[in-house]
Order: sequence, then C-alpha cells, then structure tokens
Amino acid sequence: MFRLCAIGLVLLAGWMVYLDAVVTSRFEGRRFEVPSRVYARPLELFDGASVSASALERELSLSGFRKGDGKKSGSYQRSGNRFVISTRGFSFPDGDEPRRRISLSISGDRVQGFSVIEGDNAPIVRLEPAQIGGIYPAHKEDRVLVQLDEVPALLPTTLMAVEDRNFYDHFGIAPLSIGRAMLANIQAGRIVQGGSTLTQQLVKNFFLTREQTLVRKANEALMSVLLELHYEKDDILETYLNEVYLGQAGTRSIHGFGLASQFYFGESLKDLDVHQIALLVGMVKGPSYYNPRRHPERATERRNLVISEMEQAGLIEPGRAARARGLPLGVSERPSYSENRYPAYIDLVRRHLARDYKEEDLRSEGLRIFTTLNPAIQYAAEYAVTDTLPRLGGGQNAEALEATLVVTAKDSGEVLALVGGRDPQFAGFNRALDANRPIGSLIKPFIYLSALQEPERYTLTTPVLDKSFTLEFDDGKRWQPKNYDGEERGEVPLHKALSHSYNLPAVRVGLDIGVDRVRETLTAFGVDTPISRYPSMLLGSVSMSPVTVAQIYQGLATSGFNTPLRTIREVTDAGGEALSRYSLEVEQVADPSAVHLVQYAMQETMQEGTGRSAYYTVPQELTLAGKTGTTDDGRDSWFAGFSGDLLAVAWVGRDDNGPTSLTGASGALPVWSRFMAQVPQHGFSPVVPDGVNYHWVNSEQQALTDEYCDNARLLPYIAGSEPTQTISCSGNLERRIRGWFEGLFQ
Amino acid sequence: MIDRISLRTALIATLLSVAGCASGPGGGIYVPIGSEPAKAPEPPRTSTDSEESEAPVWRKSEQPEAAPETREPSRSSSPSYRETGDGLSPAALSLVREADQLLAQGNVSGAIARLERAQRIAPRSAEVYFKLSEAYVAGDQLGSAEQFTLKGLSLAGSDTRLQRAGWLLLADIRRARGNVAGADQAEARAAAL
Repeated sequence: MFRLCAIGLVLLAGWMVYLDAVVTSRFEGRRFEVPSRVYARPLELFDGASVSASALERELSLSGFRKGDGKKSGSYQRSGNRFVISTRGFSFPDGDEPRRRISLSISGDRVQGFSVIEGDNAPIVRLEPAQIGGIYPAHKEDRVLVQLDEVPALLPTTLMAVEDRNFYDHFGIAPLSIGRAMLANIQAGRIVQGGSTLTQQLVKNFFLTREQTLVRKANEALMSVLLELHYEKDDILETYLNEVYLGQAGTRSIHGFGLASQFYFGESLKDLDVHQIALLVGMVKGPSYYNPRRHPERATERRNLVISEMEQAGLIEPGRAARARGLPLGVSERPSYSENRYPAYIDLVRRHLARDYKEEDLRSEGLRIFTTLNPAIQYAAEYAVTDTLPRLGGGQNAEALEATLVVTAKDSGEVLALVGGRDPQFAGFNRALDANRPIGSLIKPFIYLSALQEPERYTLTTPVLDKSFTLEFDDGKRWQPKNYDGEERGEVPLHKALSHSYNLPAVRVGLDIGVDRVRETLTAFGVDTPISRYPSMLLGSVSMSPVTVAQIYQGLATSGFNTPLRTIREVTDAGGEALSRYSLEVEQVADPSAVHLVQYAMQETMQEGTGRSAYYTVPQELTLAGKTGTTDDGRDSWFAGFSGDLLAVAWVGRDDNGPTSLTGASGALPVWSRFMAQVPQHGFSPVVPDGVNYHWVNSEQQALTDEYCDNARLLPYIAGSEPTQTISCSGNLERRIRGWFEGLFQ
Repeated sequence: MIDRISLRTALIATLLSVAGCASGPGGGIYVPIGSEPAKAPEPPRTSTDSEESEAPVWRKSEQPEAAPETREPSRSSSPSYRETGDGLSPAALSLVREADQLLAQGNVSGAIARLERAQRIAPRSAEVYFKLSEAYVAGDQLGSAEQFTLKGLSLAGSDTRLQRAGWLLLADIRRARGNVAGADQAEARAAAL
C-alpha cells in the first residue's frame, strides 16, 4: 500500500514536472501568434483633395467610422455635402496622427472649406486606414493585443465580479467555489454553474482541448496552480484578456477584448462605455449563444445582468447602472472589415512581401503592412469589370469571358486597385499576375518610340508605308503581316499609323530600326523576361501579364521615367517600429522629347483613332491617352491608357485561350472607359519637354501651314526636326517661291 | 562637394517660399464625375448576400462599336499639352515644410516619407521632386538624387527659375558623382536660360 502510494507520488511528481514544463514554456515563449494586419492607404483630407461625397462616406464606413453626431471619436455627421468627422487617431510608421474633429464639404468631387475644429491644427489630415486583410496563423486566431494598464479599469473589475470574485486571493483554484458549483449542479440535476477561476479558464483555453473529462479537469487544476506559482496575478489577467474567445467571423476566430471591441463596436477598447464593457464580459459565458448580432434579446438580458452585478459590487453608481440598462446594445451593423475582400490585390501584396519576409513571421509576428490600395479606386474597378463584362458580346461563349483590370497612380507607380477576374471576390487564379498573354498592338508605342528617338529619321509626320510585303526567312518560311481590316492605304503619316493602329507601317518601321532596338526599349521600360527576336514580335506576339503591361506603360505615361510598381509603402512590427520602407523610385529610361511625341499619338488614339469609343462613356473634357491591343481571333482584347492621375490596363479574354468576337476597342476598352468614367480625376496634359516645339502643319504634306487651314494640325517636333517647307490652305507648296525670293535678295 | 550641393539646394528652398502660386495655364483639368450611377452596387463583400442586379440593360451609349464614325471630335479636342507643371498646394507645401524641419534634424528617412506624401498629392510639381533630390543628397544617395532632379526637370517646362534651379542641382550632383562632363553640360544648360 505504501509502495503503491510511493509509486503514485513519483508518477504524480513526474507528471507535475511535465505539466510545469508545458505551462512555463508556452507562457514564457511566444504567448500569442498575432496575425499581420494589412491596411489600405489612408485617405488624405485637405482643401482640394479629390473625393466624391459618396466615396468619402464609403471610405469612412470601411475605416470603421459610424454615422452619428461627429463628436464621439470614430463617428461622423453628414448633412448634404458637409461632413464633420471625429477621427480616432492612428499611429503611422512616420508619426502619430492625433485625434481631431474636422469639418469639410465636398463640392465638384473635391474637398472644400477644410478645417480642424478640435485638436492640433493642420492643413492636411490622414484618416485611419481601413484594414483590408490579415495574414493569419494556421489556427486562424485573430486578436489585437492589449496591455493591462491600457484597458479601462472597469473591464477587469467587472470580469472579476462576474467570473471570479476572489481572483486576487486564490492560488489558481477556488475549492469553495467548486464546492458551491457542485452543490448547485447536483440540486439542479445538470450543470448550471461553473466553479472555474479565471486562471483555470485560461489554462483550459490555452493548453487543453475542450473535452470534458475528469483527467482533463485534474490537469486543469494542477496547471492552474503551477501557473499561479510561477507568474504574477496581473500577468495572468492580461493574458486572459487577450486569450478569451469572443466570437467568430467566418473561419477567423475572434480572441481577446481588444479585437472584440473593434469587431462588435468598431471602437477601440479604451473608448468603451459601461454598457459595452458589460456586454463583452457577459459574452465570455457563451460568445455564440449571446452573439449580439444574432441574438440581440439574449445578449441584452445577459448584459443587463452583468450591469446589475457591477452595481452590486459597487463598481458603478445605481443611477449610471439604470441608464446603462436602458441603452441599446450599440453593436455596429457588421464587422468593420470582412476578410479577404480583395483577394487579387492581397495576393500581389503577399508576393511582394515574400521577397523580404518569412511566411511564419507574417503569420505570427503581428506585423502592420501599409499598402497602396485605394478602396475608392478598387470599388470603381470592380464595378467596371462586373458591370461591363455581361454586356460584351464576345461570341457564343460570353459566360467564359474573363477580365482583369490593373490601376496604378501614374506618377508614383503605386498599385491602387487590382481586379483578377470577373468575380472579384474569387481567390483563385490571379489573371492580373499570372495570365501571360500576347500583348498585340500594345507593343506599337514602343516601336514608334524607338524610331522617334532618332528625330533626324522619324517625326510624327514622317510618311510610313501601309502596304503589304512578305518576309522570307533563311529556313524558307514566309511571313506576310496584314492589317486588321485587310485594307492598305499607301503612305500615311506616322502619328496616324499609331493612332489607328495600322499593322503594316508598324512592322515596316520596326524592321527599319531593328527588332533589337525595340527589345532594348521594352527591357528599359521594365520587361524582365526574354523577348522574342522574331519579327512577329512587332505585332505583339510577346506575352506579358497585365501587371507587366502596367509597368511598361508607366514609362510612357511619365515622359520616359520608369517607376517600379509598388503595393507596399511600409511594414512595421507590432509596436510600430519600421521594418521596411518601399520608397518611390524613378529612373529615366527614354528621351522625354520622344516620349512626348508618342503621348501625342496616344491622345490622338482616344480622339480619332481606335480608342475613340471611350468618349461614349467618359466625359469629353477628360483628356486621355491610350492604346488598343487585339490578338488573332480576338483571343486577347487589351486596352492600356492613362489620364493625368491614373494608369489602367484592362484585358478581356478566355482562360482557355479560345477565340472571341472582340477587339481591344470592343472588349477591354469598354471596361477601361467604364472605370475611368467613375473616378474624378485630372485630364492628361503633359508638360512640353525642353527642346520640343509645337507647329501647325499639314501632316499629309509634311509641311508647315496656317493655323486656320482646315487640315491644319498642331503637332510637336523635337527641335530641328520640324518641316522646312510651308503649304497654303489650298495646298500650294510655298517653299519654291520663298526660295526664289530668298535667292533674289541674297 | 556636399557643401556646395547644400548651398544650391538652399536656392530651391528660397524658390519654394514663393511657390504655391505657380500653377500653369492649360494644365490637365480636373473632371468630377458629377453623380454616381443611381444604382451603384454595395461595395462587394465576402458574405453571400449577393444582390442580383436587374437584367443588363443595353443603352445605346454603351454599345462599343455602334456607329463610331458619327461623332468626329471637334478641333477643340486635339491632344492636350501644357507649358509648366503644377505648383504646390498649401497642403503639399505644409508637408514640404515638415520635411525641411526633419531634414534639418538629420532625419532623412522621415523627410523622405513626408515628401512622398507631398508627391502623392502634388505629383506634377517639379518642386517636390527637387526636394526629394535634396533629401537623397542628404542621405548620400546621389544616384536617386540625380534621377529625382531629372524628373523635376521634366516638369519644369518653361519656368526658367525652376529650370535653372534644376540644372544647377543636377550639375552639383553629377560633379559629386565624378561625372564632370555631365556636370559641365548641366551647367551650360543653366547658363543658357
């Protein structure tokens, strides 16, 4: 008997040592795996900021603001186009944005009369950014860590009053409470009361499974005692506040009061009122049963019970308790952000992060990732795709049509929006990144740019031959390029050949300057994959993803400055310490003068050429530049173009690479224009580079002419390359006459 | 050499103090969208409350290839261009001033962060890029500084003050990088203004 006891004791001691190791290692080590948070770009508010009233309201709601009196932080008031917004303040990587109350109105889709009513005065204020995603640990637990000294004092005291009155006095377990609970359970014939201390509850959540067995109960008790032996009460309490399970959002579980406060109220824990604290504490007992969104009556009843407990424990005055009981639950309509709303965009963010961060760190270290996503632009982009795609014909298989849209900020290279397919919520094949398709005529601006960099050989009015020809290769194969419409027009000025996207002149010019020159230009503009040397590349047999197309068009949009695309501005650790900054970079890769000429022809494309149907959707005042692209049998329909502020690339086609009846103008362009028409923005109007002069010319005759002639066109020339002869409105060349006079008077 | 650069960047600082009014004519005009479509859909969400919108309505204006020849653009809609970039708005200017203070305290990365904010709200202002160049000079990243100067110059247009400031800055940076020929060339450009 004694031996048996001794063996038992040894085993127990061994077991205790094991449990002790479990408890300390888990508690000491990384206590929580905190997911990384991904934020949209913050909205900057100042006089002149571009935003519509409805976009501002959407943005506020996305950032968790609630419509109200505009006085409580995190609320806003709108009357007509006037807004009063009380910001919560936010800690950005480059400094804190304090709480402020601001007032502004929206007129003509711009902020006017911006002023700070309360708080530090400033001419420009950033709203807290919307959270657009998270990178979660495998177990999908989500939490916002809080420290005991930053939670409202009423929270821990209420928690103790309800769950564990003697928390600061017991040693981990409370035999008296257990006894009391047992008695109550026996009397009721079922489990009506739990006698677990907060420590036991923590141990249960933290180390053990949810099954109800005696062995588990015993382990729980032993581990609770061990935990109390090793750690301070405050440590245990703080861990409890962060660990406790308080709800579910899809596959993501809501842990801790910090996140629960945001999840249910859209407010920071430190801002909660008595009735809100009572609700959260009440929910500990059964987060699903007392879910205030699903079972508001049960939740209200439970909350009011907690308020009464608070009153009885002397935590609040009776009057305050009565007022709190009378208040509505005050739960926000829906969680302030839903998971994975922008799967294609987050996918791109993750790929960029993967260059510098390990997956496990992203999943557990609570990093804060500040992206460039602009929710208003993303909204317009998704709308453009989902609204336009069903209207496109595309042949018999219209349902099989897919589309992508990439939008970047023209001068910063920031990726503002990304739509990866006809269902923007589908987190599957990301066409914007992974669909490598022949770019068709999107290559033409690069051919002509390469040519125009030699102003002594090429200008916008250089006649180029629109006439078929046959190339015979060494192996005997023949290649005979054709125009899309099958017609031939003889000599056409270069600018018209580009704006109307004629194939034959493009190939002729490309062969004249050399395929290698065009390849060099493409590489300089950001193509980082091998490019074919076959002349068919001059008609866009080169394959690229929509994001790569956006990258190379960036240089065309910015007068020859390659600006690497970015999705991330900064990454900080959980404490706000900066880990990486991804700065704006620019690199001049082409002569701005030559790019200016190409920009002219790309504007002409929109006004007279293959892109003109954009103006059925887009206001006439919005000057744009762009280029259509179509591949054989309408397998790929492309449009790439830009305004003064934005660059967008649209692609429409089928995943199985099947034929469609679409062209760039009838497939991708409607998507692109629908997008552009929804965003208030500046028109495209490039600054004339040094060394470029505009002249009125008759472009068919390559001669200077009078401004008021019918066929006069104001065209840019690189200095020294402008036409030397002059032509009258009626078409008489004047050079000979003037030459004769000049000769006379010399 | 760096001293000389800071000397000339002071030139830009004085330039900025009078900036803010230098918005060029004929710039890209701002086009509001007026009103949004009356039936704009809710922002898409992951929850499955898919509100199927009514059957697609074909409006004539949306048929892409419908008689494209019928509306020839008038002369007024010829390709747009302008002689100068944008000036700095008061908001952008306030960020540039903050960047100046940070730079004076030796906080280069803080200054760059401010200037990038300014660049986002004033992306067509030569001054912002010259200031970025100045910050990169202070951070001893002369390669980046040179590129930002070139970018600023591409927006200076016919503004000779900005042109001169840019070319002189470029000359100093190139000289500091050992590119004497490039520096001389830039100085000659400034002198020719």
